[in-house]
Amino acid sequence: MNWTPFSFIVINLARQIRAGEITFSGVNSTLPMIACMLAKRAYDFDFTWINVAGGVEPQPLAVPQSSSDPAIVHGSAAIFANQDFYDLCARGGLDLVYLGCAQIDAEGRTNVSAIGSWENPRVRLPGGGGAAVMLPTAKRVVTWRTDHTTRALVDKLDFVTAAGHMTALVTPLAVFTREPRNGSRFRLEHYHPATDIKQIAAQTGFAFESSGAQPAPPPTPREIDALNALDSDGAFAVTVTG
Amino acid sequence: MTLVAGLRAASYGIPFQPVAGVHGSELARVNQWQTLRDPYGSGTDVFVIPAIRPDIAVIHAAEIDELGNARIYGSPFWDHPLTRAAKRVLITAEKRVTTDHLREQPELTLVPGFMVEAAAVVPRGGWPGSMHPYYEIDYAAVERYMEDAPGVLEQHLAEAPETTPTP
Repeated sequence: MNWTPFSFIVINLARQIRAGEITFSGVNSTLPMIACMLAKRAYDFDFTWINVAGGVEPQPLAVPQSSSDPAIVHGSAAIFANQDFYDLCARGGLDLVYLGCAQIDAEGRTNVSAIGSWENPRVRLPGGGGAAVMLPTAKRVVTWRTDHTTRALVDKLDFVTAAGHMTALVTPLAVFTREPRNGSRFRLEHYHPATDIKQIAAQTGFAFESSGAQPAPPPTPREIDALNALDSDGAFAVTVTG
Repeated sequence: MTLVAGLRAASYGIPFQPVAGVHGSELARVNQWQTLRDPYGSGTDVFVIPAIRPDIAVIHAAEIDELGNARIYGSPFWDHPLTRAAKRVLITAEKRVTTDHLREQPELTLVPGFMVEAAAVVPRGGWPGSMHPYYEIDYAAVERYMEDAPGVLEQHLAEAPETTPTP
C-alpha cells in the first residue's frame, strides 16, 4: 500500500506508543484517537489507553467523528474523568500525551492561543485546554499537523502557549523527533518516500538536522488491516488532504 | 487545567491554588500568574492560580428528584469542580425520578439537593451534544450550526428541545 496523508499521520502517531505505557488522547484529536485504536489492533504489546471522554481501555463499537464523544467510553470498566487524568499527568503518571498545535517551533513549543499578537490577534484560537500543564508534566508529548507548511512549522511562534516534553511531530510528509529536555531541537527522523529532505526543508519554517533521516518504513499488513477496519468507508481519510 | 485550579481554589475556600507545569508558557505573563517557592525547602517554584468563583453554575444531569438531588451517568467531565466552586447551582435534567430511586445508588448523585437552587426537566437538553446513556452527538445538527450564513442561528434555535413540544 502506498502512504496516503491520512495513513502516514495515523500510523506514525501510533508508532510513538510503547509497551506498558499509559497513553492519553484528548479533545479535537481524531487522528490520535484512531492511532490509539489502531495500535490496539496492530501491535502485540499491551498499553493502557485513556481518553478525554473518561474511558479507560474502552471497547468502542465504532470510531466517532469527535475524539471526545462518549462512544469512546463504551466497554470501559472505569470512568477516569477530567480531574483524574489531568492530575495523573501533573504527578508524572502519563507516559504519552497527544496534544494539538496551530503553530510549532523547533523546540517543540506550541501555540494554540492566537495568530498575530495576543493583545490584537488576527485569529483568536480556542486555547490550550490544559496544554500549559500537560506539555511540561507528561513524560512524552506527540503532536501532528494535517498540513506541512511554513505557516504552521515556524521559526518563531506568535505566542507560546506551552513548552516542555514534546518528542515528536508528525505531518503528511515527515516525522520529526527531539529529546524531552530544554534546548533539544527537532531533527528529521523519517520522511514520506515520495518526497525528499530538500522539499521538506522548503516547507518547514525552522531549521533542522537531517543527517540519518530515512524514508518511513512502509506500513505493515497489520497496520493496513487495522486502518482499513477503523475507516472502512474512507470517511476519515478524505478529511486529511495533506 | 489552570481554569480548574482557579475553580478548585474557590471550592476549597482559599485565594489561590498551586498547579503543576505552566513553566515556559506565555499564558503566565498575559494572566499575571505568580510563582511561589516551596516553603518546605524543595526549592521548587510552583505557579499559583487565583480563585475563580462563578456566580452561577448550570449543569445538565441525567435524573433529578423533587429535592434537587441530581444523578449523572458516565463521565462527570467538569461537573464536580464547577458545582462546588459556584455561588449558585442550577440543574437541567433529562428526567424526573423518585428520591427512593436515587437512594438505591446514592454514589451516583453528583449534586445533593441542598446545593441546588432551581432545576428544570428538559428532555434532550444536551442537544446537539450527547447525553449518556440516552442519546449521542447530533453531528449533522452541529455541522448545520457551524455554517456561517444568515438564518442558521434561528434554524438551530427552532430545532432545539427547549422550543419543541415534549412528546
